[in-house]
Amino acid sequence: MEVFIQIIASGLTLGAMYAVATVGLSLVYGSLNMLNMAHGAILTLGGYLSYVAIQHLGLNPVLALVLAAAVCAGVGLLIYLGAALPLLRAEGFETNIFIATIGIGAILENLMLKGFGPYPIPQPLAIAGHVIIGNVHVPLQNLFILAVAVVLMVAVAFVLERTRIGRAIRATSMNREAAQLMGVRVGRVYAQVLAVSGALAAVSGIMISSIATLSPVMGGDPMLKAFIICVVAGLGNVYGAVLAAVVLGLLEASTQYILGVRWSFATLLLLVILVLIWRPYGLFGRTLVVRL
Amino acid sequence: MTQIKRDILFGLCLVAIASVLPFLFPGRYVVTQATLFFIWAVVVIQWNLVLGVGGIFSLAQMALFASGAYATAMMGFYWKVPMLLAIPLGGVVTVAVGMLIGLACLRLRGPYVALLTLAIAQVIYVLIVNDTACFTSTGGCMPLFGGVRGIGQFGDIGFRTLFPRSWHIAHYFVALALLVVAVATSIVIIRGPLGLAFRSLRDNPGYAVSRGISRFKYQLWIFAVSAFLTGIAGGFYAVHFRVVGPTVFSFQLLLFLIAMVVVGGLGTIWGPLLGAAVLMLADEGVKELSEYRNIGLGLLLVMFIILQPGGLVKLFSPNGIGGRVRKACSRVRGRSQVQNATSERPTD
Repeated sequence: MEVFIQIIASGLTLGAMYAVATVGLSLVYGSLNMLNMAHGAILTLGGYLSYVAIQHLGLNPVLALVLAAAVCAGVGLLIYLGAALPLLRAEGFETNIFIATIGIGAILENLMLKGFGPYPIPQPLAIAGHVIIGNVHVPLQNLFILAVAVVLMVAVAFVLERTRIGRAIRATSMNREAAQLMGVRVGRVYAQVLAVSGALAAVSGIMISSIATLSPVMGGDPMLKAFIICVVAGLGNVYGAVLAAVVLGLLEASTQYILGVRWSFATLLLLVILVLIWRPYGLFGRTLVVRL
Repeated sequence: MTQIKRDILFGLCLVAIASVLPFLFPGRYVVTQATLFFIWAVVVIQWNLVLGVGGIFSLAQMALFASGAYATAMMGFYWKVPMLLAIPLGGVVTVAVGMLIGLACLRLRGPYVALLTLAIAQVIYVLIVNDTACFTSTGGCMPLFGGVRGIGQFGDIGFRTLFPRSWHIAHYFVALALLVVAVATSIVIIRGPLGLAFRSLRDNPGYAVSRGISRFKYQLWIFAVSAFLTGIAGGFYAVHFRVVGPTVFSFQLLLFLIAMVVVGGLGTIWGPLLGAAVLMLADEGVKELSEYRNIGLGLLLVMFIILQPGGLVKLFSPNGIGGRVRKACSRVRGRSQVQNATSERPTD
């Protein structure tokens, strides 16, 4: 029973962090058909920004979170203006933007490596203490992460379902040309989506580094897992991605307990490959009808 | 002159130049770097076949390279297989690994393939690096795949004992031979039926499919061919450096090689070779600034994708800068009529 609670607690925390990282990716893919390989670097940048804001500028933790999210939203905008906008005009956008964002990610990651050094540092934005649930010590930090993630997910769902911006985003991801013909400014939607995705990446970066540590390469692993979650759910399906994130988080926590940390990622990947052989477009993805 | 004849002639000229190079610059450093350049060029040319010609968004190329290197090294280390046999066998093992990855991925759409292949490569890397259980204990604890330190002492192809002083030149020619095979394969595939099949699938997928051209089948073929040569290059890399470690999986190396393909020109015969040459030379030139190397590589990648998506070879096409210069030159020489008549003809 205690083991069970432990697995649920850490699995939900993992799932919450992955969900926040994944939603941004999924939104971007849904509306632009763009795989953002710089997502991991933006996530790391968010973690470091909160470190700088608290440790060097002496800011209040909430302000630090907001600052990190704002700057990373700016980075997302810059990626839109600098890379996505010129590439959208040419052919082969999907391939080109993929390779371009690999380059952008490498630039960001190595700039951070130069700025902060390769050694891991602790994330100052963390809450000490724990609560006891049925004889198991659950750190408050985990509960805090869960709460922030739920709030963010509800906010994203609200924006998508209830606001004009959200409607424009949904319309664009359903059918770009039709949305454009109805007067949706597609370019503006793209910019908004990339900015939101950057801000979400920053928050998930802070969460992940508060449980592990900050290092320039810490973004790679969560990004890969976020991508896998997107793939399982079906690229571009936002709600499916949240569900898949939670399920995969729980799965990861249980495989870590049963088989050891070493095999958890491999098991996860094997499962994903099996799912994809069964359903090539992901669990919730729609089959794409190609008109020739 | 047909295109294929022109390609062969150009290739022969390059081989002639490359054959005299080690005698003009006999320094060990130059020859060793050139050997490394040949190895990377082989990998990049095969990657280009998969990525640029076959349209398979695979990032598993370095994992295939590593499969070849590891298979060769492990056969030599555990079963004392002679290297001359182990390298081709390593190529066969790589084809098997490639087929497994291909069967898992090729039914998926482009971006799914990219993510899955990247994830597979990463998982193999993590499994090798975190392996600490001793498999044998000859000469200290040694995990099955060598762990972080990698595998060494698995034998040699014999040039080191045959030419104790100039074995590096022998290795240079082995690598050159590999490169020639790789380029020849690339020419045969791009100009031959396989290339034609992929071009038809790109130009008019509906018509191509209804004429019985199966994308899956041809993609699997191109994947297998490129896996074989990549695996052989990996095996030779292992023999040349006498050790295989998990560094072959590093993202930095992946970045370096993908930059070669993009800078040279995706989907062309000579682009990847040109890109490999340019990036190896550039890497040599900025040796003192090595801490900025990855930032520079990233910038190069982004700039080329945005400003010159066709790569450097596009400069030499009839509509590129090179073509325009050539036209201008011939006009000055007063041969404009002949030249115009040929250049007006639509090129492939």
